[in-house]
This record gives sequence, C-alpha cells and structure tokens, in this order.
Amino acid sequence: MIQYAAIILFVFGLYGLFTNKNVIKMIVSLNIMELGLNIFIISIGFVYDGIAPIITSTSGSGLLYVDPLPQALVLTAIVIGVGTTALALAVAKSIHNKYNTLDLGELEDIL
Amino acid sequence: MSAILLVAIPLLVAFLSILFKKISPYLLLGVTLFNIVLLLVLSDGFVVIGGFNQPMGINLLLDMYSRLGLLLINVLVFVIAILNLKKYEKYSSILLIAVAGLNGLILTNDLFNLFVFLEISGIAAYLITTSNKKPVGTFHYLVLGVVGSSLFLFGVIILYSMFGTLNMVGMIQEIQATNNYKELILPFILMFIGLGVEAKLLPFNSWAKGVLGKSNTLSGPMIAGVYAGAMGFVLGRLITNLFMFEGTLLTVVIVILAVGIVMGDAMAFASNKVREILLFSSIAQASIVALLFVNGVVIWAVYLIIANALSKTVMFLVINKATKDVGSDNVDKLKGLFSNNVVVGVAFTLVTLSVMGLPLLVGFVVKLNFLTVLAANNQIWLIAVILVAAIVEGIYFVRLLVKLWYPDGNEIDVKYNVSFKVVFVIIALALLSFGTYSTPLKELDNSVDTVMEVVDNG
Repeated sequence: MIQYAAIILFVFGLYGLFTNKNVIKMIVSLNIMELGLNIFIISIGFVYDGIAPIITSTSGSGLLYVDPLPQALVLTAIVIGVGTTALALAVAKSIHNKYNTLDLGELEDIL
Repeated sequence: MSAILLVAIPLLVAFLSILFKKISPYLLLGVTLFNIVLLLVLSDGFVVIGGFNQPMGINLLLDMYSRLGLLLINVLVFVIAILNLKKYEKYSSILLIAVAGLNGLILTNDLFNLFVFLEISGIAAYLITTSNKKPVGTFHYLVLGVVGSSLFLFGVIILYSMFGTLNMVGMIQEIQATNNYKELILPFILMFIGLGVEAKLLPFNSWAKGVLGKSNTLSGPMIAGVYAGAMGFVLGRLITNLFMFEGTLLTVVIVILAVGIVMGDAMAFASNKVREILLFSSIAQASIVALLFVNGVVIWAVYLIIANALSKTVMFLVINKATKDVGSDNVDKLKGLFSNNVVVGVAFTLVTLSVMGLPLLVGFVVKLNFLTVLAANNQIWLIAVILVAAIVEGIYFVRLLVKLWYPDGNEIDVKYNVSFKVVFVIIALALLSFGTYSTPLKELDNSVDTVMEVVDNG
C-alpha cells in the first residue's frame, strides 16, 4: 500500500516539474519526486512483523528481519539527491544573478 | 594492479587537486595517462571488491568491450585536457570526477552502482556545462538528467524487488530462469528512458540544444564526444545483455529510434548554425548506435561510437574555437574559415566525410558492414531509413563544407594553435588509416563477448 503512496508522490513531483516555470519551485518538485522514489525503495525492503536488521548477542537466528539492502541504497540515493539539489540551487542563483529573475517563462522572452 | 584503480585514482586525485590547484591540470593529464597505461597492461576478468563474490558484492568487469570504451574515454579526456590546459584549468578537478564516474559506468557490473556512477558523471557534466556561461541551459540539463536517473533507479529497484539481486550477471541468470517477459517491460522501459536522457535519444534530448548549441572548446567535445561515447557503451551493455526487447515493445523502440534518426538529420538540415548542425547530427548518430544494439549488431555499433566520438571531438573543437574568435556560429559568418587554415580544413573535411560514410574512411567501413548485417537480418525498411538519413546528412554536410572553404567575400581570421592542428591531423589520419586498412577491425569482432559469454569462458 505504501508503494502506491510513494508512486503518487513521485508523480506529483513530476507534475510539479512540468507545470512550474519558477526555478525554485522546480527544484522543490524535483525533491518531492526523489522523496517518493526513496519511500518506494524503503518499502521494497519491508517485511511484515520484521525487526530491525541488527544482529545482537540476544537475537537468535530464527528471527525475521526487514531487508537491510534497500536501507543502504536509500542512504546513497539521499546523499546524491542532496548533492544535485545543492548544485541546482547554485545554478538557480547563477540564473538570478545573470537575469534578475527566477521565472523561466520570463526568460523565454529575453533569450 | 586492479581495474578498481581506474575509478579510485581519479577520485582520490580529484580531491587532492583541490588542495594543489596550481598543478591540477597536470594531475589530470597524469591520471589519464596512468589510466591508459593501466588499461594496456591489465588482464581481462571480474574484479571482486571487499571479498564478496557474485552475486553478493559489487564487482567490476573488464573485458574487450569495456576496455575499448575506457581507452576511448581516457584518450579523449587527455586530448581535451591538453588543448584546454590554460583556458579551463579550474575545471581539472571536475574532469577528474568525470573520468572516475565514466570509468565506473563502463566497468561496473552492479545496477545500483551504475546509478551512482550515472549521478557522479552527471553532476560532473552539469558542472562542465557551466563553462558555457548559460545557466538556463545547464539548469534544463540538470533537471532532465535528474529525472532520467531517477527513472533509471525506479527501474532498477523494481528489478531488485523481483529478483533480489542487483548484480548484472545474477540478474541475467534469474531472468533466463524465470523467462517471464511481460513483467519486465515496465522496469526496462524506465531504465531505457533514464539512459536515453544522457544518450541524447529522442524525445529525451531537449537539453542538448541549450548545452551543445552554446558550447565551447571544453564542454562541446566533452559532452558530444566523451559523454556520448561513454553513454553509447553503457546503453550497448544493457541493451545486449539485460533488456529483452521483444514483440510490440521491440517494434515501438525501433520506430522511436528510427524517428530519432530522421528527426535529428531533418533538424540539422534545417539549421543554419554550425553547432546546432553538429548537435542534431550527434542525436541522429546516437539513435543509429542504439538501433544497432537493439538489432544485435554489437561490434559495428562499438566502432560507430568510437568513430563518432573522435569525429565530434574534432568538429566541436574546430567550430567552437572559430565561434569564440568570430563571435557567431552562423554558417554565413564562418564562410571561408578554412581558406586561411588549410591543415585544419583538410582534417575537418576528412572527419566530416567519415561521419557521412564516404569510401576510404572508417565511417564507410562501419556503415557498409552494419548495413550488410541488417540486410542479412531482413531489416530492409531500417536500411531504407538509414540510407535516406545518410543522403540528408550528406547534403547538409557538403553544404557546410562548401561554405567553410569558400570565403565569398567574407574575411575572418581564426588562429589555431599547433597543438590543435596536431590533434586534428592525428584523428583524421586514424580515421583514414582504418578506413583503408580495416582488417584489424574485423579481427576484433571475435574478442567482443556478451557478459554471459565472459562468465562461461571463465
């Protein structure tokens, strides 16, 4: 079920990306899209009644764990997302410095 | 010595180059040279990382296919770095990151790892395009690149949920064992679209005009030569090993790629700006490469990627230098460019004729061979599309060459350094040599195996 929510969030992000002309709103949409994707990745590893995948001295071998791999993958995906967002914001600042606007609709008339 | 050094050394030196800014261009040259030497001495095989064997750990695969791709990337970055040694020295650290990312893209045998390298090389590419000083073009490229890689990751995660592995060999074995094609259509389409953005395939290439249409002597050859070449190799690896395009999906993909060829050449024909002509020609060529891989024509697609990457590097270097000096890339403003630059003109003409596929040049050998294979596969209408596109391509390139050779009253003065001329002449001679003596190309055919053939051969 949570996978549907993640896909809806992903589609919301894509919709925002294609309908907005404001650079900052586009970056926010990009982040919403990535958030949907990250939730989708985490949901793949979910096991009903599963516990955290940490082996301790008290945990036995017969316990049910959630899949730890998607959690590791999502950490990497989050870090990459932060990197691209930072770069996108830097480019947005560069657009603002050069054209004094953040609206790509206005820029289409200038360029 | 291990193939992991091809990724680790550029990454390490990229961070060190920030501390030693003054020598960073020389560090870049040293690293690419080291990579080239390493590629010549390393033996083929899988590289297991951290002691985790397949399918548990991440591993890299160095075979003849990836070796050709890696050599192309490192040689081209070395050449581009030499030619931009002083002008774009600040970009050395970024180029090192790009080398690490692109080497990893071609080497990796793990799908999530491939996504990570796609993002690393992507971020380096966005930064390289900032040298154009056109932030809107960079922003469009960034947005489309991030959407593309997100869709690719979406596809990878769906495959992981189905098969429980990210290892390419393990996944191919699982797919062959289950043989359930219909469930794989969605992840394959998502991954294909993701790669299609970077590979400039229609309709995911709207970023190209804003980036390559305003490019310079660094960003032009890097994006149209190095990145296009690397993405061609990655696309080929996935199409020939993983994606199983069958039935209706195969028809849809072939039609989209065929439309990409026709549209690319038609837009190049309609344009009067030289950089746009080159970038639209690149789009058409990228679609031809993907079409060949989809039809199982691997070795000639690889040669086409290499010939295109070398040709587009020369063409973008010549035109972007002229554009900078003249202040416009309009064909009429660049009339007579070669009347005072005969050596550059001859090299550019040879390279262009190779792209067109004229006899005595490598483009002709490649085109003749892949058309022969397509004819043997009864793909007659595909041959017709490629030939019609080749005629259109021939018309706009001959028209361009005539204008660049004859001044027609237009006086322009563009000076090319000796280093530029040497690079142009060497690449043009290489295209001419392999065009007239193509036996080594045919011999290599047997050395390029699929991933499963590499596994089977031990």
